[in-house]
Amino acid sequence: MPLDPMPAVMPQPVLGPPPAPRAPHPERWTLPNGLRVIAAHRPGLPQLVIRLTLPAGSVADPPALPGTASLVSSLLTEGTQRLSADELNARLDMLGAAVHASVGHDFTDVEGIFLSDTLAEGIALFAEIVTRPAFPADETERVRAEALDALVARLDEPANVADDRTTLEAFGPEHPYALPSFGTPEGIAAVTREEMAAFHALHYQPRGAFVVVAGDYEPAELRASLETAFADWQGDVPLPVYPPVPPAPRAAGRTVLVPWEDAAQSEIRVAGIGLDRHSPDWIAAGVTNYILGGSTITGRLGANLREDKGWTYGARSAFSAGLAPGGWAAETAVDVEVTAGAVREILAEMRRMTEEPVPEAELRRAKDALVLSLPRAFETPGRIASRLATLEAYDLPRDYWETFPAQVEKVTADDVLRLAREHFDPARVVTVVVGAGIEG
Amino acid sequence: MTEPKLAPLHVPSRTTTLANGMRVVAHEDTSSPIVAVHLMYRAGSADERPGRTGLAHLLEHLMFEGSQHAPKGQFDDLLERAGGTNNGSTWLDRTNYFETVPSNAVELALWLERDRMAHFLPVLGEEMLELQRGVVINERRQSYDSRPYGMADERLHEMLFPEGHAYSWPTIGYMADLEAITLEDARTFYQTYYTAGNAVLVFAGDISPQRAFELAERYFGDLPAGPRIPRIARMGSLPAAPRVRRETMEDDVSFPRLYQAWTVPAYGDAEWVALDVLAFLLADGESSRLQKALVRDGRIAQDVDSYLYPTARCGVFGIVATARSGIPAEAMESAVRRALDEVAAGGVTEDEVLGAVRRVRRDHVAEMATVEERADALAYAATVLGRAEALGEMMDAYGEVTADDVRRVAARYLGAGRAATLVVVPGAEEEVEDAA
Repeated sequence: MPLDPMPAVMPQPVLGPPPAPRAPHPERWTLPNGLRVIAAHRPGLPQLVIRLTLPAGSVADPPALPGTASLVSSLLTEGTQRLSADELNARLDMLGAAVHASVGHDFTDVEGIFLSDTLAEGIALFAEIVTRPAFPADETERVRAEALDALVARLDEPANVADDRTTLEAFGPEHPYALPSFGTPEGIAAVTREEMAAFHALHYQPRGAFVVVAGDYEPAELRASLETAFADWQGDVPLPVYPPVPPAPRAAGRTVLVPWEDAAQSEIRVAGIGLDRHSPDWIAAGVTNYILGGSTITGRLGANLREDKGWTYGARSAFSAGLAPGGWAAETAVDVEVTAGAVREILAEMRRMTEEPVPEAELRRAKDALVLSLPRAFETPGRIASRLATLEAYDLPRDYWETFPAQVEKVTADDVLRLAREHFDPARVVTVVVGAGIEG
Repeated sequence: MTEPKLAPLHVPSRTTTLANGMRVVAHEDTSSPIVAVHLMYRAGSADERPGRTGLAHLLEHLMFEGSQHAPKGQFDDLLERAGGTNNGSTWLDRTNYFETVPSNAVELALWLERDRMAHFLPVLGEEMLELQRGVVINERRQSYDSRPYGMADERLHEMLFPEGHAYSWPTIGYMADLEAITLEDARTFYQTYYTAGNAVLVFAGDISPQRAFELAERYFGDLPAGPRIPRIARMGSLPAAPRVRRETMEDDVSFPRLYQAWTVPAYGDAEWVALDVLAFLLADGESSRLQKALVRDGRIAQDVDSYLYPTARCGVFGIVATARSGIPAEAMESAVRRALDEVAAGGVTEDEVLGAVRRVRRDHVAEMATVEERADALAYAATVLGRAEALGEMMDAYGEVTADDVRRVAARYLGAGRAATLVVVPGAEEEVEDAA
């Protein structure tokens, strides 16, 4: 084949001004029973997402029964006072609908996805699932057995073992954030149907909860459907109570090794205490973390461990949002032979952030990446619902996303240094390794 | 009560072809000020040869290591600064590279893709190869070797396809092959497949087709067409039986898991659409047949799933189920067989099909919620089926599927004699490094 001439070199394009993100401006109203509604109309795809959030996550579990909130949420779709589990599921499947509940530490979320032309029946079924589950004995025992098996299967994976051990080490055994939000085998085995029904009766209440709807719907039909579907639901959700979060992990400054026979890789976690979602430092902490490990390839951790050394497929770090101060963790998985070196490099990158001010260009880059990516955050009904739910759940200002760029812009290199010293100081974090090779 | 009809779902697009053969597809959606730029090459792991498996995917990694005018680190850096994201992926029939950017940064994405299509070879070197070889070996360890049941799919495909068939080896590649790949291998694969004439470029989002076509011409119109790569040939006839019918594999897991797979017609075939509906009818939704038979009523499995690969040479239909405590995999296998036989014997109602079709549609809508995913779907249709418009025709075809279609494809393709059956049981993990 003849050799082609070298193609021309083109100049790198100069970008015009970025487009303004179009943050959704939802409608907000409150139903007569106190249930708040936030609705973002988004025509286009013939689908809508409805998401009910209750301040009833695993923090609300009875102390001896971790896993109660999670089991209750799994049983919502296992039959109502009107429909057997089979009847309910046949109806949902016929509509092409999906209803799933998820339980975090702070909140329980129930999400329904419906095709737009099934809105009225979809919302009626959704309300029935949330407000009138029956906890049938037979289905309860099946779901319990499945949950117990799933916990066993989960621990076949070293990454899960590392995650569980890390939260336990970070928060200590007394704090509910230390346990996975889906509970423990003991709690799941012990909780009775009556205790599940009692949890539901106490925590699944309209006043204190809220519903976010996003997608394509007829506004009048949505209002009428919600009003009718939730008309009989009355009561207040009790506020969760949080024990104090320890200022630092008990084993701060140390490394915990969980041996794993024949490990192909070591799972490494470095974790400490972060901040609550309300903290005035939340946005600056996000910028600080972005520089260290917010982007799995270009953050300092990824650039060092993956791009420079080729030791891992990726490395990253994040603050977890919480009503109480959540955790901060860095994570990666590396060749067993380089485990000790990888731990050293992670801690060295963290220490460097506490010692040297971030160069202006690197700070600029982090700010641009966080702000200019905003248009993508509002692209789909699911993402819109999630962003709106965050504002409502953590009681953040309604113009949060409009003012976000200015808030990010205000973050200085001094802020980054201060937050790195508060959260990335190797003396204030615990290291967990599941695998081998730490001796090297 | 009348059931609502299937909600329509269309992804309108326009296509043009540059003089060098590059096909350009434009889908305009102004609802968010972002644009997805998607470049798909008709080259995947099925275009590798035995002994060099993993080459297509390793080359994808190398493509992010810089090109002549955007050296290492710049690709991610420039896009992230502009508020964009980017990634790439390799599968059996294609490799793709995609960026989602604010609408002011479309030209940056094009400039970067042009540079690595036109000016990559001068930077391709040993050091870069060794580094990414290490990253990919770690990806293999993390995503396959150390994951519970992580080796099952690889073995299942070796069992399902004739020896040496292009779908018989894993996209990630065998460990020994990953160690063996040379710079020359990477160079040759790049020169053969990474050309304008072998690529589809899709724009989806806040950009007019006219501007998309102008930009495509400006950034790619002068590049050479490259060697002519024939369209992917469908398998002439599907194998009557798998190469290996049945095998048991030990792994460091707590519960037995059943894997079954069948070769079926390729993506784009009317029967493929009926098989997709069957996959949802069997295991998507709590009222579906396998959920009832294995999980809810039978109580022998913790979970069951069914899937259908949208692949070009032929399709692959699969069923996976994990046993409950104390249940052997054979019990699940019998229950799956009974359910498939019932479907094949005509036990499916039109209502059951309607529900399954609606659940397919729900997933399609969710999968196409982003411009990035719509660009991918259009690029895939253009690459594998030859036309982006074929996507919409396939979407519409779901509304035509009848109970009899579902019965027929189950009877024709999912018989016991055509299944490859792999059972993973708790035990000592097998040595994987010698698998090749």
